[in-house]
Amino acid sequence: MSTDVTAVVVRLKLSLLRNGLRQSAGRRAAYIASAVLVLLFAALQLLGLILLRGNAHAGSLVVLLVAVLALGWAVMPLFFPSGDETLDPTRLVMLPLRPRPLVRALLAASLVGIGPLFTLCLFAGSVIALARGAVAYVVGVIGVVLALLVCVALARAVAAANIRLLTSRKGRDLAVLSGLVIAIGAQVVNFGAQRLGSSGLGELDPVADVLRWLPPASAIGAVESVSEGSYGVGLLQLASTAGALVALIAVWSRHLTRLMTSPDGSTLQAVTEAAVRERTSAGPARFLPAGRTGTVMERSLRYVWRDPKTKAGWVTSLAIGLIVPLFNALQGTGSIYFACFAAGMLGIMMYNQFGQDTSAFWMVALTISSPRDAYVELRGRALALLLITLPYATLVTVLTTALLGDWPKLPEVLGLSFALLGAMLATGAWTSARFPYSIPQEGYKNVAPGQTGLAWISIFGGMIAAALLCAPVIALTIWLNVSEDGDAWTWLLLPGGAAYGAAITLLGLRLAAPRTAARLPEILAAVSKG
Amino acid sequence: MTSAVSVRGLWKRFGQQVAVAGIDLELPAGKFIGLVGPNGAGKTTTLSMVTGLLRPDQGSVSVVGHDVWRDPVEVKARIGVLPEGLRLFERLSGRELLAYSGRLRGLPGAEVDKRASQLLDVLDLAGAQHKLVVDYSTGMRKKIGLAAALLHNPEVLFLDEPFEGVDPVSAQTIRGVLERYTASGATVVFSSHVMELVESLCDWVAVMAAGRIRAHGTLAEVRGDAASLQQAFLELVGAGGRDAGTDLDWLGGGAAR
Repeated sequence: MSTDVTAVVVRLKLSLLRNGLRQSAGRRAAYIASAVLVLLFAALQLLGLILLRGNAHAGSLVVLLVAVLALGWAVMPLFFPSGDETLDPTRLVMLPLRPRPLVRALLAASLVGIGPLFTLCLFAGSVIALARGAVAYVVGVIGVVLALLVCVALARAVAAANIRLLTSRKGRDLAVLSGLVIAIGAQVVNFGAQRLGSSGLGELDPVADVLRWLPPASAIGAVESVSEGSYGVGLLQLASTAGALVALIAVWSRHLTRLMTSPDGSTLQAVTEAAVRERTSAGPARFLPAGRTGTVMERSLRYVWRDPKTKAGWVTSLAIGLIVPLFNALQGTGSIYFACFAAGMLGIMMYNQFGQDTSAFWMVALTISSPRDAYVELRGRALALLLITLPYATLVTVLTTALLGDWPKLPEVLGLSFALLGAMLATGAWTSARFPYSIPQEGYKNVAPGQTGLAWISIFGGMIAAALLCAPVIALTIWLNVSEDGDAWTWLLLPGGAAYGAAITLLGLRLAAPRTAARLPEILAAVSKG
Repeated sequence: MTSAVSVRGLWKRFGQQVAVAGIDLELPAGKFIGLVGPNGAGKTTTLSMVTGLLRPDQGSVSVVGHDVWRDPVEVKARIGVLPEGLRLFERLSGRELLAYSGRLRGLPGAEVDKRASQLLDVLDLAGAQHKLVVDYSTGMRKKIGLAAALLHNPEVLFLDEPFEGVDPVSAQTIRGVLERYTASGATVVFSSHVMELVESLCDWVAVMAAGRIRAHGTLAEVRGDAASLQQAFLELVGAGGRDAGTDLDWLGGGAAR
């Protein structure tokens, strides 16, 4: 009976794949192209791993690769929940199936596809790179099978545990953030690769020593241990992967049973659960100023956390603002002035303020009846931004300084950061009023079709203007640094830069406010296209 | 009779298309007013211009005696709006949205919270008040939008298709609140293409088609000799004589060929 279910589910997966391709020529072409690309990549890395055979650090690299791939399997279902329809077992809920055969069948079905094939190639290549001797190859075959099953079971277990989340609005919110995780991950990988390039694969050894014991990388680690003659260690490593597989299947099976026997995420029960959790977030708002200022700040800050698009923007700015100066400092190539990057990146969040509201801007527009109202509105938004950016830019600057050990420069870099932040806020407020554009709420696009030019003018024009506005502070910094006893006076740049930043922000808000008040219908029309 | 809204020579073009072609209208104060017309008649465009959300190409609008474009301070405090097709701040919970909206209008915090609680109760939203608006159903969205529009006790309330996609229970709740509101002397202007609804709710109607006002006046005046507002409306917009019967004579009867 159980083999029947397995065969049926595997056939179902194949049919879904085939029918998906039949839907449109474009989709077919995309699938074939990605398949060819993935296979080509798989072949290349297979070749690379085979060439690596005999390298002293091959074991470390391979173990790391396997661990990264396993991590990929774990997060994939969170970001691409619609990728595999058989991943959603609630679709099978009406069928009379027992958990055990179902688990077996779904596991088998998961092994069909490009992803598992790619993983298989990488694992096989890893074994070839490491194995020496017949026993090592035998362990290798067992290891590859175990590791592959762990990867698949991991993906299934994560998906089953989060299926409520994945099929809900929150899951779709999460998907918006996925591109971001990949982008930031790429930065980290890029940095890691640069370090490896400069100091060799030996850098990996300490990390690999831990990963060697972590399933599923431990299954591949076992091949290396056995090749070196440590049969006992190898056996233990294999056993750890096997144990992980059993544990994952048990977890998955339990979630599956619960899913199949309780109401799904679309029913009221799940909704009330979520409602109770939303409740507990009113506390810190008490400390905000009263009136429109506090109200606007509170709404802006809530949106930083709750609106996926806004959150994605913030996380990008926060991460890149930290990564660029810090990584450069770590590599020894950095300048302390790179710390201003954090202020610059975070200042971008002031741009297109009303676009971030989407067409809900009408609620704001209906309450602005004078330039004064517009000024308070914009100032509230700038203050909300400062609440995060000011401590963050300070933190990044201090961290960068600490890494470079250049403490005497701290005041002037902080001053420059604050001046830049002020200039960004000023130009951001002005371009928000003058060049607003829609941010589509669905998908990955950040500009509505037809408004790309507007967005470019807004962001890049604004950034150039901000840089120009900072010119006096930059000039003063350069002058104090080159003039003979200027070093004694660079501390002046901290209060000077901060005051300049504050003054220019206020000026920017003053200039932007009448424009905003006069252009409310035009702004509303521009931000309602998403 | 004093007018709540006075519209003169209102025009709006979108490229080649004329959405509103010169409207003159006096809407009496203290009435339940229906703006009716088929889809694309220009109802939403008109309401957007009257409420200051869309700039007219030509013409003037004044609400309770104040020009919408020259005197926004006086007008915006006196009107409540529930637009159609525009979002709310959906990542706030229902209660947070009301708190935000009321405080933005400058009401004291405690008063906002008191009114919000009462509105949430009356509109059957108390159970969902801590849920994000993005997770609300259509009916719940209309109700929370109505609550936000009523919070500052406006003199004139503009509602664009307030009953569109709303279930009968929510519709009845909305109706009850609006009837109580107009009974106190306030004015409601709402657009709809559901004639039965307009007929049962309104005491004054304006019929719009192709960007123009075809008829306006009390319900009885507009209905005239016709059996129902629906019939009068179809005649006014020139769709009365159209009968689908002769063209689709093959349709129905069960002979599947």
